[in-house]
Amino acid sequence: MSDNNFAIQTHSLTKRFGRVRALNGVSAHVPTGAIYGLMGPNGAGKTTFVRVMLNLLNPTRGSATVLGHDVVREPVAVRRRVGHVAALQPLWEWMKVSEFTDFVGGCYPQWDPEAASSILSHVGIDPEMKIQALSRGQRAIAALAAAMGHEPDLLLLDEALTGLDPMARREVLRNVIEAMHAQGRTVLITGQDIADMERICDHIGFLVKGRLVLESTLDDLKAKVKRIRVEHERDAEIELPAGALEVEQSPAETSFTTADFSEALPASLAGPNRRVEVRDMSLEDIFVHLAQAELRRGAE
Amino acid sequence: MFDSVDPKSGLPIYLQITEQLRRSVAAGLLLPGDQLPSVRELAARLLVNPNTVAKVYRDLERDGLLETRRGQGTFIAADAAAMAEGERRRLLTGELRAVARDVHAFGLDEEAALDLFRRVLKDEQPGRKDRR
Repeated sequence: MSDNNFAIQTHSLTKRFGRVRALNGVSAHVPTGAIYGLMGPNGAGKTTFVRVMLNLLNPTRGSATVLGHDVVREPVAVRRRVGHVAALQPLWEWMKVSEFTDFVGGCYPQWDPEAASSILSHVGIDPEMKIQALSRGQRAIAALAAAMGHEPDLLLLDEALTGLDPMARREVLRNVIEAMHAQGRTVLITGQDIADMERICDHIGFLVKGRLVLESTLDDLKAKVKRIRVEHERDAEIELPAGALEVEQSPAETSFTTADFSEALPASLAGPNRRVEVRDMSLEDIFVHLAQAELRRGAE
Repeated sequence: MFDSVDPKSGLPIYLQITEQLRRSVAAGLLLPGDQLPSVRELAARLLVNPNTVAKVYRDLERDGLLETRRGQGTFIAADAAAMAEGERRRLLTGELRAVARDVHAFGLDEEAALDLFRRVLKDEQPGRKDRR
């Protein structure tokens, strides 16, 4: 049994499709109560990861526990306590919204129709509407309502914000934030909109080509990864620290990204006629710089 | 009272919210006894992680700017007015430092810099019509 500190815990998880390793030795830890953003370029393995957690795919090697249950041996126990929303997931077009949520609710002994209908009514979706009459944003909300009615302890949002207009995105985000109010509820979210991730996530995992290259709290990540800019004498030699990324040099300026920042670094670069600037980076810039370095390393 | 947060600015969201709150107190936009939204309300309004808002409230309470009354909510502390003067100085010092670094980098001498600052100060006086 895994301990209760982690809603998801995987150990050397590998999933192969033929010769392709969609997941390659992933050991991930999603703390209970976290909003965990699983990020990565297209094809990094994010959706495969989510599908293994739901036992929609069997791992090739390694193991995974969700809410203390082994995903392969106890898939029913897992699904009973997990809510799942996928990008543009197909819904039953001919059903009314209320029929759809009732239908999904029938699968769960602990279904609370109130939880689902309060999400719908808050955004003004009439339960009597046919699914096919819903806009893309309304569909996302309906899918979220259907995923929340059984009061899941873990919510898996796989690209659930992708392709939504700004209004619908805000509405989904707001619902996720309100859902977090439930004690100990955990959310794992994958997606491309990194600014949204930075808003709501407190933990981040980076997948690149099936490998989890980094896992951290957002605060630690932002404290460790910094952009350093040095103004210096023309054509001076600047000692770059080991592992400097995205180095840009012009005659009197050098900029680089470090993934291992400490106060000792700017001190070591300081000097007369020099000015050292340490900049906070957005999660988006952090992601791009680290992913590029990782992809380059993989290509070598 | 609260602006929106900008996740693209690089500044941690925790700091963005903290600074907005401190600034509002420094400018007298929030007075002792004013009630703040609940953690959940503010998180949903700004679309940020509730834990982030909770941490802002906790840290500002520790600093004496906020106080939590059990069962009632979070309020601007009685001492906040006394702290506002210090806050104003702290905020201005931070922004002037950035300007001072540019003054040195551009090679302006002290007299020219102060002269420029006096002129800008006059331009930005509230109520001046030609202010941009």
